[in-house]
Amino acid sequence: MSEALAELLRHPALWRGDTAGAAVRTIPSGFPRLDARLPGGGWPASTLIELLVSSAGVGEIRLLLPALCRLALASPESPRWIAWLAPPHLPYAPALADAGLDPARMLVIQPRAGLDRLWAMEQALRSGACAAVLGWTGAASDQALRRLKLAAEEGQSPAFLFRPPLHRDEASPAALRLALTARDYGLDVEILKSQGGMPARIDRLSIH
Amino acid sequence: MIEGRPATSRPAPAKHRPALDLVPERPLPTTDAGPRELWLAAHFPRLPLDAVLPASSSARAAVVTAEDDPKRRIVACNERASRQGIAPGMGLSAALARVPGLRVEERRPAAEAALLDRLGRWALRFTPVVSLEPPAAVLAEIRGSLDLFGGAMALCRRALGALHDSGLQASLALAPTPRGALWLARSDLGLSVTRVAAMADVAARLPLSCLQWPAETMETLAGLGIQNVADLLRLPRAGFVARFGPRLLDELDAGIGRRPEPRRRHVVPERFDERLDLPMEAGDTGALQPALVPLLQALDAFLRARASGIAGLRLDLLHRGQPPSRIRLGLVRPAGDVAHVRGLLAERLARHRLTAPVRALRLRSGVLLPLTLRDSGLFERGQSADPEATARLLDRLRARLGRDSVFGVCPVAEHRPERAWRIAEPGGTVPLPGQWPVTRPERPLWMLAEPQPFDGWEGTLVTGPERIETGWWDGHDVRRDYYVALTRSGVRLWLFRERPPGHGWFLHGVFG
Repeated sequence: MSEALAELLRHPALWRGDTAGAAVRTIPSGFPRLDARLPGGGWPASTLIELLVSSAGVGEIRLLLPALCRLALASPESPRWIAWLAPPHLPYAPALADAGLDPARMLVIQPRAGLDRLWAMEQALRSGACAAVLGWTGAASDQALRRLKLAAEEGQSPAFLFRPPLHRDEASPAALRLALTARDYGLDVEILKSQGGMPARIDRLSIH
Repeated sequence: MIEGRPATSRPAPAKHRPALDLVPERPLPTTDAGPRELWLAAHFPRLPLDAVLPASSSARAAVVTAEDDPKRRIVACNERASRQGIAPGMGLSAALARVPGLRVEERRPAAEAALLDRLGRWALRFTPVVSLEPPAAVLAEIRGSLDLFGGAMALCRRALGALHDSGLQASLALAPTPRGALWLARSDLGLSVTRVAAMADVAARLPLSCLQWPAETMETLAGLGIQNVADLLRLPRAGFVARFGPRLLDELDAGIGRRPEPRRRHVVPERFDERLDLPMEAGDTGALQPALVPLLQALDAFLRARASGIAGLRLDLLHRGQPPSRIRLGLVRPAGDVAHVRGLLAERLARHRLTAPVRALRLRSGVLLPLTLRDSGLFERGQSADPEATARLLDRLRARLGRDSVFGVCPVAEHRPERAWRIAEPGGTVPLPGQWPVTRPERPLWMLAEPQPFDGWEGTLVTGPERIETGWWDGHDVRRDYYVALTRSGVRLWLFRERPPGHGWFLHGVFG
């Protein structure tokens, strides 16, 4: 490699596909097979992550639980919320406690109107008061998703956005997009998009 | 050295009582050598009545009765009632037998406290050191104010005149200790003392009733043959403590100046309260937003000058010819940052529907609260939450979505799944009593608000049954067999069948 090229590559504004992932702060997912396929070895810590779920309840929360526990325990002296925005059902406190998540750190937000959901999710992300925000916002424009991503970066909080699989073929600004399908007591995880990583497929990830 | 002046304000002329001659000064073992104080005590024997009935209604005999008393004993009565033979302590039926047309009111402790608070504020015009002695006395340290008011007697006359004009019955007394002044005012003998050394001797002549000790203590003392404070002071100290506890002995010592008695100052809470007249009447809330700016700037300056925050605000929209519309704002944590308040108020104003044009705004703060200073995380932000950020997020979400749309969850130690949790204030979970039972089978992460009939589902039962049979004692008994089921689409569900079988399947949770 020529001297000039090496110098050029040291420029901070230039990034290369194979190293970009390492610069991103990540949270281990708790599933080694998944971590191996994610750049930086885990969930990106402060950006938008989109999860396309075939039907609510396939195991999408189980998939996040180890990371949520890690996030909730990250700063015991001034803990941050785990925010649940318009979840399809209410998070069940005894099960959360069994899983090791302190129910006192849960913040359930149930806006009545659809537009308020995006607004509330953005507020929760931007505030810096949430360790993670789990959102079920329904329809969202490309611009709204961009705003969520910016808010997540600003508040340094991962935004897990759950959407139905019909949005699969739409373009999305999310840093990571996964499609989740249940199969034979396990979860098929398809990495559709991964900034700094590669699309990949993990069959029958055991999450129980 | 005693000044025997009747210091009593009552509509009927007070009887003049002769001054007491005092035994010569005798040094006390530990006389307080600190700065000399002079306390003015005002006792309001008729406060329960004055708090409930305005002074103007004295044309009819009126009494106030004790609350939660089967006999409804009389606590206080007005002049007319006492002239007709009614006295405090009398049962209501006896009083009604004497005066059939008697006006009867029940005692209202909240109104009494409010009146005493007002009297405390009024006393602040004489001295900054005012202390309340609930239920019915105000104490004021007036040594420093004597020159200003032309001496103690002039000050007392002035206070009595004002109290008399407002129709309040009061007895006043001066003493070098607050407790001593209180005893003298309660005993209403028209006595005042100015030197600590004389306090013990004067106190010795007072009736026991001026102490206002609990009834059972008074009964015990009567049983011991103790008639007045002099007898009390002669009791051996160790025996007194053993029988009545140290608190009452401390009170006695404080009264006669053997030990200092720290008093809690009555402080009037400071509030922000400003009004802004609009140049022209505003018909929609959008026009009010810019008008709020100067008010909020004034609030900002006010809070900064006091290094304080507010936990609540009220914005009144004043209309012409009808009562103002009020917008109340409560904050999760005291805020000193007006920008935050402005955002919340703008949100609330935008949702407010105006009933009439607005001609003025009035912004009134709640009580001021000290702000805790925080370092704002110079290097790393976001790793740990700034407690203000969490509170601010709650305020903002609730201002727009409504209070009930933002909540926390809390587990409850209970076997019935639907009762094993409840909605709670975010972050306000109470610790579980004892060990949380983690040995029971897995619970779903998501719970339906109500079990749903779920017949005709397709899939396989994975585990079960888990029998839950409980709650027969409170009428919400549960007799169910729970199963974990896996549907065709791979969703794990928590289902149950009622026992005895026959009702079919119910869906209760989703494992998520």
